[in-house]
Amino acid sequence: MSKIKVIPCSGIGKVFGLLARESVLMVTQEKCPNETETFCLAHVVTGDDEIVDKIKGETCITMDGCAKYCSKKSVEETGGIVVKSHKVPDFMKAHRGEEHGTGTYLTEDGWKYAEELADILVKDVKEVMEGVKVNV
Amino acid sequence: MSDKRIGVISCSGEECVGGTISRLAVRKMMEELRPGIVSTLCLPLFIAGDGGEREFAEKYPTIAVDGCSKCCAKRAIEKYSSAVAGSIDVAEIIGQEAALGKPLSTRNLTEEHLAYVKEVADKTSEIFDAILVK
Repeated sequence: MSKIKVIPCSGIGKVFGLLARESVLMVTQEKCPNETETFCLAHVVTGDDEIVDKIKGETCITMDGCAKYCSKKSVEETGGIVVKSHKVPDFMKAHRGEEHGTGTYLTEDGWKYAEELADILVKDVKEVMEGVKVNV
Repeated sequence: MSDKRIGVISCSGEECVGGTISRLAVRKMMEELRPGIVSTLCLPLFIAGDGGEREFAEKYPTIAVDGCSKCCAKRAIEKYSSAVAGSIDVAEIIGQEAALGKPLSTRNLTEEHLAYVKEVADKTSEIFDAILVK
């Protein structure tokens, strides 16, 4: 099985995009580097053959910063199979009142939240991997 | 102060250092170098076409700041709106090798990276200012 593609939106205007980006980098670089990889959403949305070949028909997980779901929609339009899709604000309930930073930096609470988001993605990755094992 | 609106679109690419530099350079412009007069546009939303971004880039001059020579932001603006008012390729400024380095988390930024951010932000600001006085 090829690596699971985990793709954030990386929106630049608000902290949610940075939270999505940092949580995905934690997963692909630290927590599950052998099972996952990420691609530039900016490149995905261009529809270049090079990136379409890497995404089309592949198992993908997306983390969006807002309800526009740019990452999920773009990956699906490119032919990726989005098996799990999240958006950062969905998990905010337990973090009300916290200051997470801006689109430039994360605060200590922001990093904790990013870590929590990364753990949600890791759980997804494990579920997908288990599913693969069951189906093999 | 001029009320002229100028857009800046960063690629924010997740696959290499250049994407992190492009993103932070645009944020630096917004927050420190040209506060209050930079309109940043979200590239995925721009391409999705449902956030008003394309209309903005058709109406107002827009600068692309790309992290690598694929120039996704520049190509997207030209495809969906109009010719870019200016463009930056981070790889041309900091070198291909540096720009194509491993994806970079903001918690691993070094003084060298911050210097790259400043250099890219300064060059983007030069383009921005030239458009502003036209």
